[in-house]
Amino acid sequence: MAPEERMAGSAPMIQLFRVCKDFGPFRHALADVSFTIERGEFVFLTGPSGAGKSTLLKLLFREELPTSGQILVNGRNIAVLPESQVPYFRRTLGVVFQDFKLIERKTVFENLAFVQSVLGLSRAEQKRRAYQALKRVGLHHRMNSRPPELSGGEQQRTAIALAIVNEPVLLLADEPTGNLDPVLSEEIMKLFSEINIRGTTVFVATHDVELIRRMGRRVLTLEKGKLHDPGAAREPALAQEAPFLPG
Amino acid sequence: MNSRYLFGEAWAIAKSGPRHTAVAVALIALAFYVPGLFALVSRNLGRLAGSAREPTAVILTLDAAADARAIAGRLAEDPRLARITIVGSAAALERFRRAYPDLGSAISELGEAPFPPTIEVTLKPSTRPAAAREIAADARSWPGVDGAESEEEFAKKFRDGVRLLRGAGLFLGALLTVAAILSVASAVRLALDLHRDEVEIMRRMGATETAIRAPFWLNATFEGLAGGALALLLLYVTYRAAAQVLSREPHPVLSLFWVGFLDLPTAVALPLVGGAAGFLGSLLSLSRSRKS
Repeated sequence: MAPEERMAGSAPMIQLFRVCKDFGPFRHALADVSFTIERGEFVFLTGPSGAGKSTLLKLLFREELPTSGQILVNGRNIAVLPESQVPYFRRTLGVVFQDFKLIERKTVFENLAFVQSVLGLSRAEQKRRAYQALKRVGLHHRMNSRPPELSGGEQQRTAIALAIVNEPVLLLADEPTGNLDPVLSEEIMKLFSEINIRGTTVFVATHDVELIRRMGRRVLTLEKGKLHDPGAAREPALAQEAPFLPG
Repeated sequence: MNSRYLFGEAWAIAKSGPRHTAVAVALIALAFYVPGLFALVSRNLGRLAGSAREPTAVILTLDAAADARAIAGRLAEDPRLARITIVGSAAALERFRRAYPDLGSAISELGEAPFPPTIEVTLKPSTRPAAAREIAADARSWPGVDGAESEEEFAKKFRDGVRLLRGAGLFLGALLTVAAILSVASAVRLALDLHRDEVEIMRRMGATETAIRAPFWLNATFEGLAGGALALLLLYVTYRAAAQVLSREPHPVLSLFWVGFLDLPTAVALPLVGGAAGFLGSLLSLSRSRKS
């Protein structure tokens, strides 16, 4: 991937302009949503179930198209991105979901190497990247285990390793701690912070208000598809640099 | 996308649903075995007449002392003829022995040749059917010719019979090929269902649709190839088994035409068409799955 493809200048990482998303004439998932996330930020998206958090992440990941409005991710207007370019756009992102989505018949290492072999990377490069990603999430000692042999936290860390193995510029996470207990949830958040410190923009959707409070990061709140006072939700710039404080 | 991924995943898909793979291969084999059997029979029937398209049109029965070569030379002047074959008494007897082996020894005990010499005439494909009757009528008056019979009606029936057999084979083949394509499509759909998580992960990671689908295409193509090859093997086993039975207990008609297997192009075509059917089936299934 060319460097200019990974870092499209100094433009914000995410920009939404009056984005609406309707599923049929009576179901409005998002209404007139606008916000900006700068490069290197760590931002939470919160709100009650059905507020539109997952829909918003799907729009950013180009799994859904907006009904109206513009979405710029890493300097590219993905609302008008041709279908043939979507896979290449996705290679610049990492995505983590609540359900870990790992291939059970493959080992942890093979899970990571597999997606890279699909992308056409050499065997040596696959090994190097997979090992590095597993080391970053502290799972290199479990690389020969299969997902069912791992704990919930380990499975989610594997999913995170899978998301960062391509060294993405933006990491999206949809309820990444939804299936985990508070201790494991904090471990995962610590991992996200470390990834963020290395320069990756992190955007996490969660309804865990307590976790958000402890992290002290910028928060966007969605309610019934509308962004709730985004200006007021923005934390002071210093908060973005604040170290993770468990408990 | 590298070949290791492509072949590795195609193999993993086949292994993940061994029963579905086996059923798909068996259905393809059946789909190609039936028309293959028709092709085998019609090919051998064609051999029976020397040429299925142009069987003998006129048979001249000669006097024992007639100069067969002179009569054949006179016939050869007619531009409508494609082939003239002189069948002497000994050759006719040999034919009879092959057709009726049980009676052959009784015939040979006779003191004189039981069959008169004949001349078999084949017409050119462009010749109108009535020409056989005209040639037979002319030849009856020639010295040395005892009788001349037009085989026009038999030839027409024979041609129609072989055409019907080939048509039925083609029709059944087309029908069963469609069934094979649909069965492969169904097997690919099941394989897709088993690998849904992987497909989703690949899409999220930025794999192109071609990279995601290629192992499924390859797997289905191999299933088709294997099915076609199995059909070919079954046909050969059928052919050999029938030939063995006929050599032990000869049949007056079957023994005559059951003399050869499929020609090389047809034999090679079976697995290749099987592979194509598998590929088509996977295309059908994957395009449907993408739409849904």
